Amino acid sequence: MAHAYRVLDDVALADTAFEATGDSPSELFLAAGQAVIETLADPQRVQPVETRSVTRRDQDLSALLFAWLSDIVYLKDAEGLVFHDIIAVVSKERDGWLVQGTLSGEPIDPARHDLRADIKAVTKHLYDVRQEAGGWIARVVLDV
Amino acid sequence: MKLHTAFTVKRVSDEVWEIPATEKPGMLVPARIYATEALLTNMDSGVFEQVTNVACLPGIRRYALCMPDGHWGYGFPIGGVAAFDPQDGVISPGGVGYDINCGMRLIRTDLTLAEVRPRLEQLMTELFRNVPAGVGSRGFVRLNRQEFDEVMRKGARWCVERGYGWQEDLERIEEHGCIPGADPQTVSDHAVQRGISQLGTLGSGNHYLEVQVVSTDRIFDPETAAVLGITGHDQIAVMVHCGSRGFGHQVASDFLAVFEKAMRRYNISVKDQQLACAPFRSPEGRQYFAAMNAAANTAFANRQVITHQIREAFQSVFNQSAEALGMHVVYDVAHNIAKVERYAEGDLVVHRKGATRAFGPGRPEVPEIYRHIGQPVICGGSMETGSYLLVGTADAMRDTFGSTMHGSGRTMSRAQAKRSVRGEQLQRDMKQHGIIVKAVSMSGLAEEAGFAYKNISEVVEAVDRAGITKKVAELRPIGNIKG
Repeated sequence: MAHAYRVLDDVALADTAFEATGDSPSELFLAAGQAVIETLADPQRVQPVETRSVTRRDQDLSALLFAWLSDIVYLKDAEGLVFHDIIAVVSKERDGWLVQGTLSGEPIDPARHDLRADIKAVTKHLYDVRQEAGGWIARVVLDV
Repeated sequence: MKLHTAFTVKRVSDEVWEIPATEKPGMLVPARIYATEALLTNMDSGVFEQVTNVACLPGIRRYALCMPDGHWGYGFPIGGVAAFDPQDGVISPGGVGYDINCGMRLIRTDLTLAEVRPRLEQLMTELFRNVPAGVGSRGFVRLNRQEFDEVMRKGARWCVERGYGWQEDLERIEEHGCIPGADPQTVSDHAVQRGISQLGTLGSGNHYLEVQVVSTDRIFDPETAAVLGITGHDQIAVMVHCGSRGFGHQVASDFLAVFEKAMRRYNISVKDQQLACAPFRSPEGRQYFAAMNAAANTAFANRQVITHQIREAFQSVFNQSAEALGMHVVYDVAHNIAKVERYAEGDLVVHRKGATRAFGPGRPEVPEIYRHIGQPVICGGSMETGSYLLVGTADAMRDTFGSTMHGSGRTMSRAQAKRSVRGEQLQRDMKQHGIIVKAVSMSGLAEEAGFAYKNISEVVEAVDRAGITKKVAELRPIGNIKG
C-alpha cells in the first residue's frame, strides 16, 4: 500500500495545486487529504486531541473525493480546527462509493501551531481523478 | 512582440489590445486587454485563454475585458470584467471569485510619520492583537443565526448600529456598505457555519492590514487628494485588504455546484467548468445573486469591524480619540462582485473579478462628497512596495463599464516565492527598510514577498494613460499585518 502527493508548482500561480497518488481509492483519499491538512498547518505541531468523523457517499469517485476534501476545509472554518492525522477508508458499494474518514487535530492556536495557508475552496479548475495501471491519480487546485 | 498566446492580438492603442471574436469558436464579442506592451508581453497564457472563454458566455455585451494586473484565475482571469444583458445573459460565480466582495478600505489620519515612527512597534503589536489573522481565525463579535442574518441584510450598517463605526463611514463605502436584495434564505447552513465566527478577521493569503505613509512628493493631484482627506507631509493612513471569509467562499462553492446542474437544464455549455453559470433571470441565477449580495454585505461588515478595531488600537497607543486623530474612512471598494448597473444600452449585470468599479464624476452611485471628482479607487501593491489611490473617469464609463485594476497581480508562484526567501529573513530585511511586519505564518509571509508581484507603478501608469482611472497619490508601507 502506498500513497503520496507532490505540489504542482506551475499550475496555480496565485494558489496551491497538488497531484495525489494511491494504490487504491483509500490511499488516494488519504494522500489528497494529507495534502490539504499540510497546506493548512504543519501536522507535526498539532496534537490529536479531538477527532471528527466524515461519512460521504456518491455515485462518482471523483465527486466523492471533491466532497471529502471540501469537508476538511469546512471543519477548519466551522469548528476552527487544524489537523494532525487522517484516516480514510473508501469502499465500493452497489451503486457508488463510500468514504469513512476520521480526522484528528485540535483547535487553532497561532501561538503553538505552524499555520500556513487558509484554504478558501477546493476548485474544479483542472480537477481530475483517474485510474492508471499504477493506481489512482488526482490533480487538485486549492484557492488560498 | 512575443506573447504567451497563439491568438492574434491587435493594438487598439498603446494601452489597449484586442483579440478579435474570430479567434476562438464561440466568441460572441472581441476580448480587450488593458496593458502596456511590456505588461502584455509578460501576461501568462491563462489570461488570453480565459478572457476569450468569457467572450463566449451567453448575453455578453461589447467586450470581455482584462485589466493590466490580469493573470490566470478560476473561470474569469483575475482582472476580468464582463457585462451581460439581464434579459438574455448569465451570471457566473466564476466572474466574481470565491472571495465574494474581497475589497480594499483606506482610512486616513492626521498623524505624521514623525509621530508614529517612535511608537510603530507598539502600534503594530496592538493592531496584530486587535485584528485576528491567519488560518481559520475568529473574531470577537459573537453572533447567533438571527444576528448573522441581519449582518447579511444590513452589512456595514449593522456594525454602525452596534457601535462598530461612525455614521459617516457608511457614505464612504461602495453601496453605502449595504447592497439591497441580500437574502439569508438562499445561503446554506454550511456557509453560515463557516462564517458566523469570523466577523472582523483578515484571513490569510494576500490579505493584509497595512500602516502607510503619504509623502507630499507622491501626491499627483493635490486638489483631488485634498477632497479625499489626503494631504501628504508624511501623513499616516491605514489600508485593509480582505473579504467575506469562509462564508463567501462557501456561497461560491455551493452555487458553482448548483450552476453545473442548471447549465444542463438551460442548455448552456461553457469552455471551462469554473465558468458554470445560469441565466440571470432564472431561479438559480436570482438565488445566487441574492446569496452573493448577502456575502458581499458580510464582507463590508467584516471591513467595518476591522476599522473599529484599528481605531481602538490607535486610540490606545496614541492616547487620543479616533475622532481627534482624524481617522476618517476615505473609501471602501469591492473588487470581486457582480452588480446591476445602468449604461447607455440599459441595465447590465457587470462582473468584476479582481477589478474595481471606477465610476466617473457625476454618477449618482458616487457619494455626494466625492461626486465632483469621481469614485475613489484603492489599489493595493505588494507589502514591500506601494499602493495607490486613484479616481474613476468618464472614459471608464464609456470604455470599461466603469472598471479598472485592483492591485499588482502575481508573477511568481507561491511555491517558487517560498523557495526564494524564508519568511524570517524577509521580515528582517523589511525591518531594515523601515517596514515592521507581524505575521501569523512565516511561510505565508514568504509567499507574499514583493518580488512575487508585478510592479504596481507600471500597472497604475497603464490605467492612468488609458484614461480609465487617474492616479491621485501613492502610499508607502511602514507596517504590515499578514495572516
